[in-house]
Amino acid sequence: MSTNEWSVTFEVFRQKKGQPAHYDEFVMKVDPDEYVLDVIERIWAYTDRSLTFRHACHHSTCGACGMRINGTEKLTCITPIREVTRDGGKVRVEPLRNFPILSDLVVDMGEFYLRLDEAKFPQVATLKEACLPFERKQQVREDGNFERLVDCLECGMCISACPVALTSPEYLGPAVLAAAQHALHQFNDKSLFDYVDNQDGVWRCHSAYECTAVCPSNVDPGWRIMDLRKNLLRHQISKIFSR
Amino acid sequence: MYTSTKKPQEGTFLWLAKIIAGLVIVIILGIHFWVNHLVAPGGLLSYSDVLAYYQNPIVPIMEVFFLIFVVAHALLGLRSILLDLNPGKKLLSWINIGFILIGIIAITYGTWLVFFVVAKGSGA
Amino acid sequence: MKNEPNSINLLRWFDPRNRKLGTWAFILNRITALGLTLYLFMHLIVLGTLARGPEAYDNFIKLAKTPIILIGETLVIAAGIIHGLNGIRIALNSFGIGTRYQQQIFIGLMVVAAGCIAIFVKSMFFGH
Repeated sequence: MSTNEWSVTFEVFRQKKGQPAHYDEFVMKVDPDEYVLDVIERIWAYTDRSLTFRHACHHSTCGACGMRINGTEKLTCITPIREVTRDGGKVRVEPLRNFPILSDLVVDMGEFYLRLDEAKFPQVATLKEACLPFERKQQVREDGNFERLVDCLECGMCISACPVALTSPEYLGPAVLAAAQHALHQFNDKSLFDYVDNQDGVWRCHSAYECTAVCPSNVDPGWRIMDLRKNLLRHQISKIFSR
Repeated sequence: MYTSTKKPQEGTFLWLAKIIAGLVIVIILGIHFWVNHLVAPGGLLSYSDVLAYYQNPIVPIMEVFFLIFVVAHALLGLRSILLDLNPGKKLLSWINIGFILIGIIAITYGTWLVFFVVAKGSGA
Repeated sequence: MKNEPNSINLLRWFDPRNRKLGTWAFILNRITALGLTLYLFMHLIVLGTLARGPEAYDNFIKLAKTPIILIGETLVIAAGIIHGLNGIRIALNSFGIGTRYQQQIFIGLMVVAAGCIAIFVKSMFFGH
């Protein structure tokens, strides 16, 4: 057990309905190897029971605990303290961008989940299909036909990081487009092409690849959006020549 | 439907037009810059040099094509940037009309200017 | 945040803090696009001097040799090279080419751009 103890100041974003946003400071004694989410829980448990935040599995499977730590999107259940600060340092905790704020660190993911449904997000896939195509070799097992949950945790961090979603709430967003790409690949449902072929879909992306940079789960939405574009172009061009 | 069902304002083909115009521009701009300033006599730094240069029929043809592609790419690009600000349907149709007008005016003006220079050079 | 008016968020497009390399590509492309579009319309208008006779055009060329204009032209060329190379990368990505290594390709292209701009600056300010 680590006997190391750091003193870290947490600046936490607070906003309740109808009230102005502000930051509350909490000075916490932390173990540098514990996770940011653990400390946030401690703040709630022992200091301020009015702090609201989301958390569930605590092992990077559910996608509930995505937040901005020092301005960058992180999955707080797997972000150790030593990764984001030092002894005597500060940690700024803010909710995800580009989602309406419900309360403190909790954002409204409703529309996001509904869009994922529309994109026919496949939650489960065969081992081969569950990961990126250029990583298939590492994932496939010869013995038997296995399935697993696909990589996307639906955490919304990619949408928070996307500079386009900053000004365009109508933009479907990386997660939804990645889901559509995944679904197209698995189910070959051509109606998904129409779903993404518009200015709020695949053509709104400006190749910043921030989504790929913050994804905690190896989905690589940037790559998937470009793959979707490639297939969409192919589909449109073949449509012309098969009339 | 939780996303808009309005007719797409930038589908594949508008985007393709922008990208292909962009790729064409990379090539023609290179040629334009190189011939106008490094190949043309005097680097086109005097009125008479310009007039003489435009007597070669390839020049006005290339420049007009260049103009069309550049104006199209620039206006489509500007429109994309404005689309990022999520304008309403009505504002967007005004933007569309405005840009089409600007495009027509710019191309018409540029083409007129090119042929004016050609005529001046051959008449004078 | 989604609830704020877009005019504030528009400035956040150009805020590179806590962002990765890809945002630099986005910012560079957008700024060069706006600069080049401005230049395009200025260029078209200024060339109108050709229609006003030799004095008009030649006077403008004299003006074009002043340092401020030379610096402006250098910026335009730099913008054109950066925007063009980055645009090629974006076009290739959208056809599915080079997506896995797009970061490295971006860095490589910007190094090339820096080289070309340096050559241009040398020939513009220090003779061929």
